[in-house]
Amino acid sequence: MAREQRIQVTVNGRAYDKVVPVRLSLADFIRENLYLTGTHLGCEHGVCGACTVLMNGRSVRSCLTLAVQAEGAEIVTIEGLRAEDGTRHPMQQAFHENFALQCGYCTPGMLITAIELLRENPDPSELEVREALSGNICRCSGYQAIVNAVLAVARQGAAG
Amino acid sequence: MSDTRFVNQRAVGTSVLPDEAIPLVEGFGRFLNDIQLPGTYHVAFLRSQHAHARLRSVDASKARMLPGVIKVLTGSELLGKVEPFRSMPNRFSGGESVQHWLAVEKVRFCGEAICAVVAESRAIAEDAVELIEVDYDPLPVVSDPRMGEKDDSALVHDSCTNNYLIKREYERGDVDEAMKAAHLVVKRKFRIGRKQALCLESRGCVAAYRESTFALTVWMSHQLPYVVRHYLGKHLGLHENEVRVIAPHTGGGFGQKASIYPEEFVCAHLALALRRPVKWVEDRLENMVASTHARDQYIELQAAVDREGHLLALSSDIWVDVGAYSTYLWSAGMEPLQTAGLMPGPYKVPALRYRTRGVATNKTPVGPYRAVGRPSASASFELLLDEVARRLEIDPVELRQRNLIANEEMPYRNSNNLVHDHVNYVPCLKLSTSKGDYAKLREEQKKAQANGRLRGIGVSCFAELTGLGTTTAVGPGTLLQPGRDAVTLRLETSGVLTVAAALPSQGQRIMTAMRQVAADELGINLEDITCIINDTATAPYGFGTFASRTAVFGSGAVIKAAKELRQRILACGAFLLGVPVEDVTIANSVIHTLDRGKSISLREMAEKSYFSAKDIPEELNPGFEVTSFYDPKRGSFAAGAHLVAVDVDPETGEVKIVRYVATEDVGTIINPSVVEGQIIGGIAQGIGEALLEEIVYDEQGQPRTVTLADYLVPSALDVPRIELHHANTPSAALGGFKGCGEGSIIGALSAISCAVADALSQRGGDIHEFPATPERVLRGLGVLPGGA
Repeated sequence: MAREQRIQVTVNGRAYDKVVPVRLSLADFIRENLYLTGTHLGCEHGVCGACTVLMNGRSVRSCLTLAVQAEGAEIVTIEGLRAEDGTRHPMQQAFHENFALQCGYCTPGMLITAIELLRENPDPSELEVREALSGNICRCSGYQAIVNAVLAVARQGAAG
Repeated sequence: MSDTRFVNQRAVGTSVLPDEAIPLVEGFGRFLNDIQLPGTYHVAFLRSQHAHARLRSVDASKARMLPGVIKVLTGSELLGKVEPFRSMPNRFSGGESVQHWLAVEKVRFCGEAICAVVAESRAIAEDAVELIEVDYDPLPVVSDPRMGEKDDSALVHDSCTNNYLIKREYERGDVDEAMKAAHLVVKRKFRIGRKQALCLESRGCVAAYRESTFALTVWMSHQLPYVVRHYLGKHLGLHENEVRVIAPHTGGGFGQKASIYPEEFVCAHLALALRRPVKWVEDRLENMVASTHARDQYIELQAAVDREGHLLALSSDIWVDVGAYSTYLWSAGMEPLQTAGLMPGPYKVPALRYRTRGVATNKTPVGPYRAVGRPSASASFELLLDEVARRLEIDPVELRQRNLIANEEMPYRNSNNLVHDHVNYVPCLKLSTSKGDYAKLREEQKKAQANGRLRGIGVSCFAELTGLGTTTAVGPGTLLQPGRDAVTLRLETSGVLTVAAALPSQGQRIMTAMRQVAADELGINLEDITCIINDTATAPYGFGTFASRTAVFGSGAVIKAAKELRQRILACGAFLLGVPVEDVTIANSVIHTLDRGKSISLREMAEKSYFSAKDIPEELNPGFEVTSFYDPKRGSFAAGAHLVAVDVDPETGEVKIVRYVATEDVGTIINPSVVEGQIIGGIAQGIGEALLEEIVYDEQGQPRTVTLADYLVPSALDVPRIELHHANTPSAALGGFKGCGEGSIIGALSAISCAVADALSQRGGDIHEFPATPERVLRGLGVLPGGA
């Protein structure tokens, strides 16, 4: 099997054409080849959720996805959430205003997961928010402020 | 000069949005692993697969041949070149433990580093680790501290008889007499398992040769950059001022990143030896065995009470499984000494005795983790109080009220020699029970029982010593007695203010806190103030962030420095305005006369003072940079009372928290939303500690729970909505501040433990081992064999 492979992938709206080792994870590709270090690695075995990104609109664990699996895909990372004019995504703004992050390490995965939730369910109950976030570990906040932020965005009807 | 401060709306006490969080929410934080220097070599460690073994041979020849491998370093190559970690002497030390950075002759726990591989990429370094051949000669394993202290036990260190790394006996008051004379003596056992801080970001470092003017620069995910700098210099034979340590954005600390470990020091050595940047980032599997563990205690305690349930004496026997080495700097004494010494908590204990030991075992060393020692001290004691209440048929809340140190009794010196003052123990309990409607909860519990459901209610009261100054030890008997930290305030040439301190944040928003305090003290707009908190090259001396001290020290030092800086600004401003200094004040970054007739912006004053210095008399223009050290002397007690209701499923053993009410006294609050996050975050970790988290070892010292699929931390579904209330009273420290980072984990473990035991008692069951996993709950109910 070839040790390297060429991939074409769009990340945060920008097209990339790169030759990558076949064993390279999507997370390492995003972080080390594209220098988009906002996506974090917390466990590298798919449990903590910090590395979650959107791939063709669905959340995936970038630590368990190989870069070559992203061939032809559209990827969105935390750096791609802001509007073109630099305005923060409503979810980013709500996290900030609700003190929904402390160390900030889980934040990229939390934001991506929460955005996906509200796209599918614009008016979730608190329990539905907690269920949706239950695959993302936050060690600092006790989750309450994060849940508050997601519910605040839902109330604004600004799921984006 | 006017002393009128707070002309602005006060910043302290308001939930100022933290600017420091914006990079993190936008994805532009800079964590350790985000740092990529050109030409960096990557390091991976070969780790022991045995808990205890002699190293017969280490053959790295195949690894060295792998293309891309630069160097394979073994322990014997470091001998004589660097100084290994020797356990810090301690009044209560057993024998000495010597920890080589890479194992020499013996390995003493699974995961101990044996070799460091340096390669062009992380992947190649890891490939090379697989090619190293180690011939182990297994030795008898010490895996239980109560067996390990016996005379015939194998030894982890030949220098530690009975495997004691720490041993202390203490008595104050006549405990035996109190036990004899008591109306009732109640005994109980308590066991808490091994924990892991589980920072979501593991440890790591980038070490570089000759960056800037320093021989060695180390970026490190750490809580104590100056302390690291001192010890890097000492162990590598460098002058301290040749070393720079920077703590980048840090993904959680919780005490795990407050100790000194071998791996980062190996990397520093390699950077100097190879004259290239060297990077190591711990992966999660490594983190579970190479970064310190916590707790792991066996406690036997007994209390003597009179007819009304007043405590007469408390006696405890404590064994802590402290692992293979004395954690560097803090020693192995953290858990054994603090659990024992702080067990009375907020309760009046006239006579106290304890025997406590830290016993070496062939496991990962135990180090500091949020609220060191106190969660198990509190939980074991609170469970005992509940048993007293049951036996005397006194309500558990009433029993606690009778024994808490009341405000009118303060200052109160307890039998562990700590003085309680400026703290609201009883008001916290009263507020939690009234807000939570305790009487109604008990009624609902009766109804639930009548319907065949198992409801339990737990109440806990705790005392948390925070912001410890020079007169109160962080770790009793250890050499490391921090208690003095500095802040520099510098008015920049454009009139904005920089606050510099070596108090790194792992999410506590210390920058925002210090900005708020400085804004109030100086009358400078919040948006004109920035902070540097993480870099020994730019910050004045400070010990760092641990032990719920940072807000107390940082804010206190800001207040002291601001007093001097404000006088200088007013004097210079008055001169430039041509008015007496008594007539001016500062508000909203403008110096103006009290009648507001004349004004000059701070920006203009600063520009003139720096760039037109010849126009201002020298004595009125002494420079606008002030450094102040602050020592609060004593610590300040923070407090809380937590009230929890749980439902226990008697078929599955699952525990569900149905109500959680917390009241805390954290002194004067700087930023309410930040404080709320600290408290609720601590409760979440306490929920993990009480119900989920445990590092399990088998008898051969093999860790069985090294992934996040096995070591369970609370998810958003495990943490209920917390109802939080405050009964704050200002401390005696400057500003009235107390620490708030740790206390709530104490209350959470205790209250939940009591609630589970209360539920099981409805069916004649009990529980003595925590976390209260479904299996233990079912054993406690007698559904599974084995007892509680």
